[in-house]
Amino acid sequence: MKFIKNHLMFILPLMAILLGIEFYLVFERSTNTYEKGLTKGYSMLVVTKDPIDLSTLQALNSHIMYSEKLKRDAIVSEVAKGVNENTREAILDALPYFYNVGLDAYLHTSGLEEIKEDLESHLNIKKVETFGGSYNSSYKLFSFIKFTLEIFIVFMTIVSLFLIIKQMEIWKYAHKERMQVMEIFGAPMMLRSGVLFKVALIDAFFSTLLVSGIFFYLKYYWAGKSGIDIMMENQEALFKISDIGILFFSSLFIVIIAVYSVVFSSKGVQE
Amino acid sequence: MSNVIHASHLTLAYGKGEKAVIKDANFKIEKGEFVFITGPSGSGKSTLLKSLYGQLKPSEGSLVVGGLNLGKIGHKKLQELRTHMGIIFQDYKLVNEWTVSKNVVLPLMIAGYSTEVQETQARRLLKHVKLSEHANKYPLELSGGEQQRLGVARALAKNPVIILADEPTGNLDDYSSNVIWDLMENACQQLDTTVLVVTHKIPAIFSLPYRHFIIESKGVYEVH
Repeated sequence: MKFIKNHLMFILPLMAILLGIEFYLVFERSTNTYEKGLTKGYSMLVVTKDPIDLSTLQALNSHIMYSEKLKRDAIVSEVAKGVNENTREAILDALPYFYNVGLDAYLHTSGLEEIKEDLESHLNIKKVETFGGSYNSSYKLFSFIKFTLEIFIVFMTIVSLFLIIKQMEIWKYAHKERMQVMEIFGAPMMLRSGVLFKVALIDAFFSTLLVSGIFFYLKYYWAGKSGIDIMMENQEALFKISDIGILFFSSLFIVIIAVYSVVFSSKGVQE
Repeated sequence: MSNVIHASHLTLAYGKGEKAVIKDANFKIEKGEFVFITGPSGSGKSTLLKSLYGQLKPSEGSLVVGGLNLGKIGHKKLQELRTHMGIIFQDYKLVNEWTVSKNVVLPLMIAGYSTEVQETQARRLLKHVKLSEHANKYPLELSGGEQQRLGVARALAKNPVIILADEPTGNLDDYSSNVIWDLMENACQQLDTTVLVVTHKIPAIFSLPYRHFIIESKGVYEVH
């Protein structure tokens, strides 16, 4: 019973940290898809005196990914209803060229302003409309959700680290005498702390296994049947095999730091 | 004969600026000698012993053990030096969560001996200290005398060059005390081990020739 309790006291906070890491990974993957959607759906309007090609626009700013020329005829037919052909031709000649310009990434509004400045520096470009207002509100909401989740994960990690340190104190107390006796007889550090490393590695392995198991279940059994659109759409992002490696190395890193803290605080023979 | 221990103007204190416990001590101990260090309580006997296994560095002067200057020695060298020492404590310092067998072969385990060698040696050593029937017990199941015999057996496990003993019979009955003195005398006689014992009282019956140092007023003096 004591054995199980000792392990659980270490496994549970470690799991909390790993859950935080996995949530972050899942959120990053899901939001990447969402970001791509937002980027795809966004374009700015560029008005030029003469036709302009994509390479000229890209030379002005590298974030520009595509440009699509708007049909001037369609615009003229809207504004010149009922006028004769000559007038229509005159309007068409006087009309500037319009382009929908798409970007390669989801940028902050300051990024959009930079692009606008770069484009407007070209003499051929008369006007650039970024539609910054609606873009900004989506960006702010998106950033807020991301920031909130990050704060939650950081908070959870700090609390869990405190719990792990507390458990380390118990380990320190339990193993101090043995490690000190071994030190007196000249045992190297790795031999003195071998038991601690073994216990910590087992706990790291089980924590990784449990957290991976939870997300594996969510992805393959729960998400599909949940009926929640966002879960079904992002089912692929819920868990990846590579996450097991990330989780295991993260837990290894934490336990090694924890064990070293115990080992170094146990140095020296008790009076 | 070569010096196993050589103290020259040795001063020991617990931390910088603290009062010296031992001051300007000079002595040499040679290979195979049996040495008693006596003195009243609080005179610095245990402090001197601690300095001999590198737990307390000299504040001034030098202390050379096994050819290594303990004031300048690095962690690795000290670790290596300790594997050639057998240390016996008044409070035994056994690992209570280990069996008697495992405790006794700790120095062999540290030296990397195989499990078979460890098991064979454990049987031999426990027979030697008359603890064979307790091999699978834990230290806290033994009496004080038995625990100290186990501590002595552990100290002898790897045929050390030096045995350092801090009040080894302090709390023991006559039978256990005699067994322990016999064991240390044998190690000194048969294996040419240097034995240094810190005690408040030299045993009445002691067959080996020995040297006797006394700690008085922070100084270490030989009694002739």
